[in-house]
Amino acid sequence: MSFVPGLGIAKGMALTLRRFFEPKATIMYPEERADVAGKFRGRLQLLYDEWGTLKCETCFQCAQACPIECIDMGGIDTRGRYHIHWGPPETYGERREESALRRSGRTVPDPAFRPYQPIDLGEVDRILDEHDFDPAHMLPILEATQEAYGYLPVAALKRISHRTGAWYAIIYGTATYYGHLRFEPPTATDQAAAVERHRPAEAAYLAALGSALEGSGRAGASAGA
Amino acid sequence: MTVVSRGWNRLTLPGKFLFILVPLLIVATAALIILITAFGQLALDTLAANLPIVRFVVAATVILLITVPTAFLIIYMEMKIIALMNLRIGPDRVGPFGSLLSVVHGLKVLMKEDFTPTGADSVVFTWAPVVVYLASVMTLLVIPFAPGLYGADLNIGLLYFFAVSGLAVVGLLMAGWSSYNKYSLLGGLRAAAQIVSYEIPLTLSVVGLLLLAGTMSLNQLVENQQGWFTDWYIFQQPLGALILFIAATAEANRTPFDLTEADSEIVAGFATEYSGMRFGFFFFAEYVNVFIVSALFVTLFLGGWNAPFALPEAWQVQLSLDPASFNIGLLFIIALAPVVLTLLFAAPFWLVSSRIKWWQALLIGFVLANVFIVTLAVAWAYIGLNWVAGILWFMLKTYVLVFTFVWMRGTLPRVRIDQLMGFAWKWLLPASLLNLFVTAAAIVVIGR
Repeated sequence: MSFVPGLGIAKGMALTLRRFFEPKATIMYPEERADVAGKFRGRLQLLYDEWGTLKCETCFQCAQACPIECIDMGGIDTRGRYHIHWGPPETYGERREESALRRSGRTVPDPAFRPYQPIDLGEVDRILDEHDFDPAHMLPILEATQEAYGYLPVAALKRISHRTGAWYAIIYGTATYYGHLRFEPPTATDQAAAVERHRPAEAAYLAALGSALEGSGRAGASAGA
Repeated sequence: MTVVSRGWNRLTLPGKFLFILVPLLIVATAALIILITAFGQLALDTLAANLPIVRFVVAATVILLITVPTAFLIIYMEMKIIALMNLRIGPDRVGPFGSLLSVVHGLKVLMKEDFTPTGADSVVFTWAPVVVYLASVMTLLVIPFAPGLYGADLNIGLLYFFAVSGLAVVGLLMAGWSSYNKYSLLGGLRAAAQIVSYEIPLTLSVVGLLLLAGTMSLNQLVENQQGWFTDWYIFQQPLGALILFIAATAEANRTPFDLTEADSEIVAGFATEYSGMRFGFFFFAEYVNVFIVSALFVTLFLGGWNAPFALPEAWQVQLSLDPASFNIGLLFIIALAPVVLTLLFAAPFWLVSSRIKWWQALLIGFVLANVFIVTLAVAWAYIGLNWVAGILWFMLKTYVLVFTFVWMRGTLPRVRIDQLMGFAWKWLLPASLLNLFVTAAAIVVIGR
């Protein structure tokens, strides 16, 4: 009974006939509007204030957060020349080098890059075993992982993804959705310790900065201490 | 400014129209009455003396005219049904449930520029859509819609049908050739190859049926299938019916065999250079073809205008109601029945619920009375008039088949050109020959 001629046609016809009677998905747009998703952040456009100046502060937060690097901008340079750009990055000067690298196919140096941190995966494996490797228990798994490591290391998330079969992007989405889950060590001291551990050069700089600013009461002083 | 011009200027625009039209209408009516009294009898006698010619002219006109609403209806069905199968709503803005959208499409096509490419053979270019359209319209002439309701009862009706529908290939080739465009020419050749290939199994598939029936007259074929639905030829010729259905799908250029103008892949095949109403005629011909192919299948295999059941004689109601026998009473019935029925149907709603206002009850009563009257009229026509029952069953069966064609278009993916040709020559042709030989052998053995 593996191959019956015309069975596929019959199945397809049955499917479309069932769809024929099902409720329809159309939203009659001008009359009714779909609910806006809770994560919607508004229109992507540059706004002007009442004096006609751009409200954009050129803080680069949007460009940094953009997952597909589609946002790109310039801004006021050190001599106060005002030029906001948008459009293909190779059309303006301050990005020319980087985009040239991109177009030539070489890797672009990323100042925000952190090397992959290997961690002890025994804890994650134990937690996963307790939850029977079930991706439906993702939130308890993530909470237990955070309790074990203090935060959610990327290596642990990757391990969870491998063992449960859930997509890394989905796990990442779940973890970013909940406010009590974090990807960094929790407190400032922990963070400082982590920086010392993983980025010795930066830690040394911060320590030097702290000693140089001794007594001036700047917040940076405690960071390296 | 004279009195006349001032009076004329004071009239509103509708007033001006009426001022001209009303006297014209009166004069025209008077002239018509005089003409009818003077030459009416003569005209009637002349028409009666040339009944075959009159019958032909009337049939040709009616058939030419009904193709347009038929095409509109099928275009609407296609849009709506495929939309519903896609979990969409489909047309819903123009007319009730969007049913006038296809009419709007027709008007749009009519208003577009009628373009002829430079270098095109303009005579052939103009006549190609006419040939394609007429080839499909002329086949309607032999299809029996109801007992006594057909254009012509040719004794070679089926042969005529296939011969005339074969003319469409000429039109397609004309369109492809005269467009002065190599892609149109290729499209025309491709369409011709497909249609000619499928014409062979299409024609061979009904030969077995002809052996069984012993006639080529479509009217006679339908009359042979009278009785219960088990008397339909589809139960004696299932393979033939299947082959006819598949080949007819290809003949009408329907999915999964719509390679002649595969919308999503090639531009429009032979019709690339066409625009405006000339393109509209190709478009119309396609949808009329769907209707014709369904009608042919119904006529040959699904009993035509026969009801699927045959009630015993004792059950049949003899309705001998002559409206003229009421004399002047008929006038009162026509005048009073709607009012009385409206009040009658409105009364229970008004009495039962105090929340329904009197005008709402009257509205409901009016709608219900209309439904009641229409139902009564249709029932009376169904029982009393043979051809009304016939055309109802015929149209029901035909549109079920049209729905099936649309349904297939909503489901099946398009085949490749080599699969298409291979299927015609390697599967349908042997199958139709097998059907023919088995039928012939069965007739010899059983001796029917």
